[in-house]
Amino acid sequence: MSENLLLKATGIVKQFGGLTAVNNVDFNIPRGSITSLIGPNGAGKTTFFNMITGLYVPTSGTIVFDGEEIQGLKPDAVTTRGIGRTFQNIRLFAHMTALENVLVGQHCRLHASLLGILALTKKVREEEAAAHKRAQELLEYVGLGRSRANELSKNLPYGDQRRLEIARALATNPKLLLLDEPTAGMNPQETDDLTRLMRKVRDELGITVLLIEHDMKVVMGISEHITVLDHGAKIAEGSPEEIRNNEQVIEAYLGRGAAAHGKGGRQTAATGLRT
Amino acid sequence: MNPRIRAGLAGGIFGALITLISVDQVVYLAGMLAGTTAGMMVAYMEPQKKWLDGLRQGIQAGLLGGLFIVIAKLLRAILINPLIGDSTDLGGQFMLGLNGLVIATIISAIFAVIATLPRPQDLIGRYAMVAILTLIYPWIDQYFQYRFMGEVIPVLVFVLMALGLNIVVGYAGLLDLGYAAFFAIGAYATAMVASPHFGISLSFWLVIWIAAAVAAIFGVILGAPTLPLRGDYLAIVTLGFGEIVPIAATNLDTFSLSILGFKVIDNINLTGGPKGINPINRPYLPGIGAFQSSQPIPWYYLILIIMIFSIFFILRLRNSRLGRAWTAMREDELAAEAMGINIVKTKLLAFSMGATFSGFAGAFYGSYISAIFPESFRFEVSVMLLCMVILGGMGNIPGVILGGLLIQFADRLFLPQLSNMMQSIISSPQVQLPSSLSFLHELSFASDFRLLLFGITLVVMMLLRPEGLIPSERQRMELHADEEPVVEQQQTEVYTARNQETV
Repeated sequence: MSENLLLKATGIVKQFGGLTAVNNVDFNIPRGSITSLIGPNGAGKTTFFNMITGLYVPTSGTIVFDGEEIQGLKPDAVTTRGIGRTFQNIRLFAHMTALENVLVGQHCRLHASLLGILALTKKVREEEAAAHKRAQELLEYVGLGRSRANELSKNLPYGDQRRLEIARALATNPKLLLLDEPTAGMNPQETDDLTRLMRKVRDELGITVLLIEHDMKVVMGISEHITVLDHGAKIAEGSPEEIRNNEQVIEAYLGRGAAAHGKGGRQTAATGLRT
Repeated sequence: MNPRIRAGLAGGIFGALITLISVDQVVYLAGMLAGTTAGMMVAYMEPQKKWLDGLRQGIQAGLLGGLFIVIAKLLRAILINPLIGDSTDLGGQFMLGLNGLVIATIISAIFAVIATLPRPQDLIGRYAMVAILTLIYPWIDQYFQYRFMGEVIPVLVFVLMALGLNIVVGYAGLLDLGYAAFFAIGAYATAMVASPHFGISLSFWLVIWIAAAVAAIFGVILGAPTLPLRGDYLAIVTLGFGEIVPIAATNLDTFSLSILGFKVIDNINLTGGPKGINPINRPYLPGIGAFQSSQPIPWYYLILIIMIFSIFFILRLRNSRLGRAWTAMREDELAAEAMGINIVKTKLLAFSMGATFSGFAGAFYGSYISAIFPESFRFEVSVMLLCMVILGGMGNIPGVILGGLLIQFADRLFLPQLSNMMQSIISSPQVQLPSSLSFLHELSFASDFRLLLFGITLVVMMLLRPEGLIPSERQRMELHADEEPVVEQQQTEVYTARNQETV
């Protein structure tokens, strides 16, 4: 089983001063899966995300990615090992073009040295040409055609900015792609398109996807595996079907009253989770 | 306003200011500069496809610019020349003004016509034209006996440094208020290995590389403590380094070092203290011999070569993965890190690459002046360099060069000339100053008003054109995104074209 896990986090604790944001969480991501991390606001999802990507160092616990412990590594080292990410509030390089954003994403996969750059050796020229070609391909892959490539990223429509962020993360050549609320603020049409894109990334590129998402329709529709956090602790994990019928989850989302209401309440809650 | 009138006005005001304060022959130079400004501006603001349209447009802008020169020449002949004992022959002065007008018109027309060529010929043509004017300048200077060369060379040294600072501030977004420190380090490194001070005299052609390498190493040493800092805090620390280096140079004339009670170095004169180090060896070339301070032409071409070489490599850096990492870091450090960019390495490389070019400048300056003093590297120098970068347009090489030329020429030629002229007017017998104004006699416009004028220029620039005179495309879009959508469209196309060139 364990060799099928791409990421295995054990006993993760994160304290900010006296506040425990994540409390003793075990968390697994099967290789090749689409896994979702859900929970009410403030449950510690993004904190957990940031520990995987190296922005935070866990207070205790280990994170093993692809057979190697990565907790405490710098974000760039984590990215180099094969974890790409997007941000909850888009963090593109606003005054670089879409193409340049994707080129920056390839940074850790390019090898031109300072001397190579100054001498502009044949190797560096070829590498640059290949990088530009790949950047174009990635933009097309996420549905941003050539016409958008040379627009400043901040001038792109909101939905395209989300896609561009995914293209930029894909450019780092990840084994695991972390998406932090990728459909936030999108209309149903855009959400559908993006859901398709996520599935395409997994099916065609074989990249494992970890998703933080509030839109239950997206989560239930796409995930094979769901973990639920509440108040920093893991309260449930399993298939969408299991999560949908889990008392504790319903309680966390809709409050104690709804769960205690018996069958009727549960029906409402389940509908809530289903939509 | 009509672009032709705008371009003509800009060139004209430029030319007229120079004409007003200068003696007769400078009118040719004023014409050249006015024509260049008008021609480039009009072609940029109102791009034409047909060469005839370009010619017409260039001539119109150039004529308007030239008109200002004629008027300025006449004004000077009527108002100023009688007071300072210069020629009052109206006819002769008018003819000189007309000469200026003709030159302005011809040059403006050439630039405008070149701009109608298809890309990339237009760019090549424009750069070739600028190159020709730059290359023949020493002969113009000699022929008309301007004697500006002694000032032009240090101006170019400062422009070279501004280009280096632009890497740190413009590309990587690290506000460095102590950049002159690297200039000092480059110059002192030169002085130590190419002067009688330590009795080492290596060839200049080797020393310049040593100076650059030493400056680059110090770039890393001084950059390392600033790594965790951002914005204001970074600026304050660099300010500190900018102060430490000249003070250390002043005090290191008696340097002793003891480790565990053993005197390792005993009382060595490292830097020559406040008196500095001199003489520093001059470059030597077979055929020319050792460069002399009385013969500026070899120096002029040497600094030009160093500059072109620097620009060439700066462009390569900018269009590489390293240049993109610098920009990304400036835009969003956290996101850059999450994209796999090693912030430590990238920042240190920005500091050391920036310092390298300052090292070249220091080595050149040291051997040009043949003496260095701690006084030459004060905080003022760092601030002036920063102003040059900001005035011209952060992150854009032509902008930085223009900003550097404007500030430096204003500082070294325009203001002193203006000041001389004012003094001769005040002290001429026809002018009877009321006693309440007699303090004017003691004012030296150049030194007293210099910083005030810089201050005013910066304030005005920040209010009217915060992106600089020639901003990078990025900056312009950032600050004026809501205005002139049509123009922005064109800029995007320009940007596209440029990107495709890089591919």
